[in-house]
Amino acid sequence: MAKKFITTEDVRRAGPGSLVVDSETIVTPQALEYAAQNGVRIVDARGAAWSEPAPDRGPDAQRAMRTLPHLPEPASDSDVGSTQMVVVTAVGRNRAGVLAEITAALSSANCSVHDISQKMVQGFFHLVLTVEVPPGTSFAQLKAVVECLGGQDDYVCRVMHERVFRFMHRL
Amino acid sequence: MGFTDQEILETIRMFELETLDIRTTTLGISLLDCADPDIESACEKVYAKIVLHGRNLVAVGESISTDYGIRIVNKRIATTPIAWVAAACGERDLTPFARAMDAAAKVCGVDFIGGYSAYVYKGFTNADRALFDSIPRALAQTNAVCASVALGSTRAGLNMDAIARFSELVLETAALTADRGGLGCAKLVCFCNAVEDNPFVAGAHSGVGEPETVINVGVSGPGVVRSALARLGPEADLLAVAETVKRTAFKITRMGELVGREAARRMGTTFGIVDVSLAPTPAIGDSVSDILELIGVDRTGAPGTTAALALLTDAVKKGGAMASSSVGGLSGAFIPVSEDAGMIEAVRVGALSLAKLEAMTSVCSVGLDMVAVPGDTPASTLTGIIADELAIGMVNHKTTAVRIIPVPGKGPGDTVEWGGLLGTAIVQDPGRFGCRVLHGRGGRVPAPLQSYKN
Repeated sequence: MAKKFITTEDVRRAGPGSLVVDSETIVTPQALEYAAQNGVRIVDARGAAWSEPAPDRGPDAQRAMRTLPHLPEPASDSDVGSTQMVVVTAVGRNRAGVLAEITAALSSANCSVHDISQKMVQGFFHLVLTVEVPPGTSFAQLKAVVECLGGQDDYVCRVMHERVFRFMHRL
Repeated sequence: MGFTDQEILETIRMFELETLDIRTTTLGISLLDCADPDIESACEKVYAKIVLHGRNLVAVGESISTDYGIRIVNKRIATTPIAWVAAACGERDLTPFARAMDAAAKVCGVDFIGGYSAYVYKGFTNADRALFDSIPRALAQTNAVCASVALGSTRAGLNMDAIARFSELVLETAALTADRGGLGCAKLVCFCNAVEDNPFVAGAHSGVGEPETVINVGVSGPGVVRSALARLGPEADLLAVAETVKRTAFKITRMGELVGREAARRMGTTFGIVDVSLAPTPAIGDSVSDILELIGVDRTGAPGTTAALALLTDAVKKGGAMASSSVGGLSGAFIPVSEDAGMIEAVRVGALSLAKLEAMTSVCSVGLDMVAVPGDTPASTLTGIIADELAIGMVNHKTTAVRIIPVPGKGPGDTVEWGGLLGTAIVQDPGRFGCRVLHGRGGRVPAPLQSYKN
């Protein structure tokens, strides 16, 4: 059976030349360094230089990858299909053009607004937009574009994934 | 979608104003296959395996934070208790394992790694003894490594020889880290009924029943519960208080469930548990003590505190249990004295004594946590404090722990600053009466009658 680990001691015992290891074998960094210093080649069965294997997370992990997607998710009211939904909120001092700025930024990212609501309290506004993000658009990029809108003494935008709200408020 | 504005704003408020966060995603890694008769080879394997599995943990955590807008404050690693891994090599000095873990933690970018641990509730193996003896040096020589030992259980009773030795280790660790206020002891904890899937340091480790690798998540959120109770007001009765805590804990735990599923998927491993503990930080408002005071005691430590804490811990568990099928770990309320601004203040004004704190631990989820005592406290007194705490756990079928710091050169009432998440402590008075004879007897406190269940 192939060794799971190759340590410095294993390389030392193997002596000069080539040390053939299994593709799953983990060669410790110290063993690699010792091998390089002492002219030992660590190779796989085909003679290619050893490369680090993907981590073996264990038998339960393999099962988890099959079962995790089937854990029940909190219900969604709309069929979002392959698109992502995000919730954009903005809070701040009201002035002309705030809504236009936010929706222009969303439009530049090809996002469409599904739901919108705004409340005003003593010159301050509270805006909530539910937005559909098309496939291929990065959530991180959208977040960066929207969250840099506004500023100090103006308004603040926040973008959160719809799944956060679904987990918190739906069963 | 159908979310109301109220629902959306409630969530935003929790994250933005009430310091809701995921306190930790902890990757458990089994190191049992790293055993080797040669200690250097064993340490190489330990280092290589931790790095291989843990290297992308921080990146995965950050990607979830970015994608979901949820802060994940800490990413940590928990390993198999090193005493089991080291048993094959028969060495007396196991500090090389601690250095290997420390180096691996640094490469992975995690601030703490737990698992320099042993289970000795009935007795010592040679490896357990070697691990015990090396704990003070291991903690002094490393930054990230945390040590935990299981000294008792309901099934086995209390190993008083191990408790007495642990007391000496605490004093040695404090002495070796005297220049940092005995800070080494903040990374050293002992347990009764140790929890094998605990994601929180210093007690994090991956026990013998755990899989090859596993993601465990610890949620937090004292600030959210505090705000909910503040809105409820003082007129509501305790049933309403419990209901409010339960509903809030449900929502907090759902965030843990979401992050746990997502972290496991992205790491390609098993989702273990969500630990639904209210874990305070020194930040203002992020305090379990504040919650107790909102429930209705003038100061934490005043009469009524234990009842309020019992209600809080129970309601958190009930809310959490409905929110996730994977609730585990410690799950309840943490009361680390130095890490909670309200607790520090309670000690400062004389409301919270060590005796009252011990009473509170009979209904919280852990035990005496981050308690500072004078540096010249005798080992026998520490043995008494620890044995008392672990006896509470043993008799009540619950986890209890002690993380106590005898601060070198400090006396009762003095202040010690550890900084960061570890906070500030006021040295507490353990009293002038000790238990030298009890300390000297050794042996075992037999398992209580309630453990005979078969």
